[in-house]
Amino acid sequence: MRPTVRTSNRIVLPTVGLILGVCMVFPIYMMIISSLRSETTVFDFQLLPIEFHFSNFQEAWSGSGLPRSIVNSLFISVTVTVVAMIFHAMSGYALARLHFPGRKLIFAWMLSTLMVPFSIIMLPLYLITKDLGMANSYWGLIVPSIFNAYGIFLFRQFYRDFPKELEEAAYMEGLSLAGTFFRIAFPLSVPIIVPLTIGFFLANWNSYLWPLIITQDEKLWVIQLALAHLVGGGYYTPWNVVLAAAVIAAIPTFILFFLAQRYLVEGIKMSGIK
Amino acid sequence: MAIRPSPSRLEGGSTVAPRRISARTRNEWFTAYGFLLPNIIGLFVFVFLPILYAFYASLHDWNALSPKVFAGLDNYRKLLHDDEWWSSLKITLLFSVVYVPLLYFLSLLSALLMNALRGWTTGLTRTLFLLPFAITSVISAIIGMFMLDPRNGIINSLLGLAGIGPQQFLGSTSQAMYSVIGVILWINVGYNMIIFLSAIKEIPRDYYEAASMDGATGWKSFRYLTLPLLSETSTFILIVTTIGSFQALDQILVMTQGGPANSTEVSVLYIYKQGFQFLNMGYASSLAIALFVIIFCLSLFQLKLFSRKQG
Repeated sequence: MRPTVRTSNRIVLPTVGLILGVCMVFPIYMMIISSLRSETTVFDFQLLPIEFHFSNFQEAWSGSGLPRSIVNSLFISVTVTVVAMIFHAMSGYALARLHFPGRKLIFAWMLSTLMVPFSIIMLPLYLITKDLGMANSYWGLIVPSIFNAYGIFLFRQFYRDFPKELEEAAYMEGLSLAGTFFRIAFPLSVPIIVPLTIGFFLANWNSYLWPLIITQDEKLWVIQLALAHLVGGGYYTPWNVVLAAAVIAAIPTFILFFLAQRYLVEGIKMSGIK
Repeated sequence: MAIRPSPSRLEGGSTVAPRRISARTRNEWFTAYGFLLPNIIGLFVFVFLPILYAFYASLHDWNALSPKVFAGLDNYRKLLHDDEWWSSLKITLLFSVVYVPLLYFLSLLSALLMNALRGWTTGLTRTLFLLPFAITSVISAIIGMFMLDPRNGIINSLLGLAGIGPQQFLGSTSQAMYSVIGVILWINVGYNMIIFLSAIKEIPRDYYEAASMDGATGWKSFRYLTLPLLSETSTFILIVTTIGSFQALDQILVMTQGGPANSTEVSVLYIYKQGFQFLNMGYASSLAIALFVIIFCLSLFQLKLFSRKQG
């Protein structure tokens, strides 16, 4: 008997969706359970975790500079995100709410920087950062990553719809314009700050190419560099340890994903709106 | 185009002073410039200046051994006859032509599927689809290398179950590019799916009711209702994805470094090698400028193409 449209929608579609969804996370699942295998059985194709070699994690943690690179990545990502939120909110606020000569021109110029792909400027950016004496330092890892017209644009969109009455009340209270922004507008910007913070943090945690270019010193390695180094070396890769390191490195983003999926989705949606 | 606003634009409560600028207005200007200054300096030094610098460097013969010497358009003449550059462009184009349509259709289909789902599995399925997005590019490359291992990889085990012999994947000049594309697709479908899904959800339900009264359901309502209403989102995704596809480098650097036999050496990687490995700063800059022009023209062309279709 042919199923009716109704049953197909109620049973077939959800089943297809779940099967496809399981296929999507299958590689992640395999990474996790294979990270618990021994060096010789790591490639064995078994769907269930039957071995639990937690020593892989000990080895990954102690052998590869992983802890230091995680601290570096956390420090860099948090610093970039915090500074970027303040700078971008200030600029977005000025562009949305304040009146001054050249406003449109400055905004258009800032937006035009969005057309410049990173990979096109990576070499001159390296040369400039080096000339500023920031190469191979935390400065070089942090400072160039802060500036991004995209954040400014989204803050501007947000402040354009911000209720005027609050600012007028603040002005009556005798607050300066800067005071109005820092005491009133910025603290009320949580709806835009949360998704942008998640986006900036993830982007910086993900960052691989720029740290690869700007650092030589192993002490400055970020997590993605440390991971890439594990598989980029010689002819032999101890996959059980490499996968354990990858699992450790994935933990912060997974925590963020499960705690803040709603805001993550919100951030993605915002990025799709022109 | 009036860049300088007239005094009457001060709806914000400021006094209108046609000649003398009031203290409050001046204060507003200072505050605004102060708020903009960090970003103006930062964007200038770290985005705008590099582009100018790249152009300047591209006109010079400049490498690790010799100092900078003005060379006019020599570097651009050189790239016209550089076989490796042309081959890298061809590989980039192949990547784009395979990756962009696949990403577009997979994320659109996933979004349609999510939109059609009802009941308790909906949230779970969406989470499953989006989870690979939480994987960083380097981790995705590591997982790819592990699963696609030519001797023992899980994908080969699965193929073995289907009676297909082991494949070389990253070790094969014909398969390496597709393997990399697969990995990059895997972590990016969820993101674009969410963008499509939110656009689909914005289409008012009565549109579909009206369409179904006219006899348009299923494929017809998708073809003549959903798809046209998604055209703006489609344009956005196609342009952003195309630009992104010209820049894919992380996974390639980790998984293949351009090999085997340069079969995955995309243009960005060739620029990277010229600049950071062979230290041909001038030449690498001319390649970067050339690629920038190509990406720019391609985006304009796409924008024109799609806006004409809509209009």
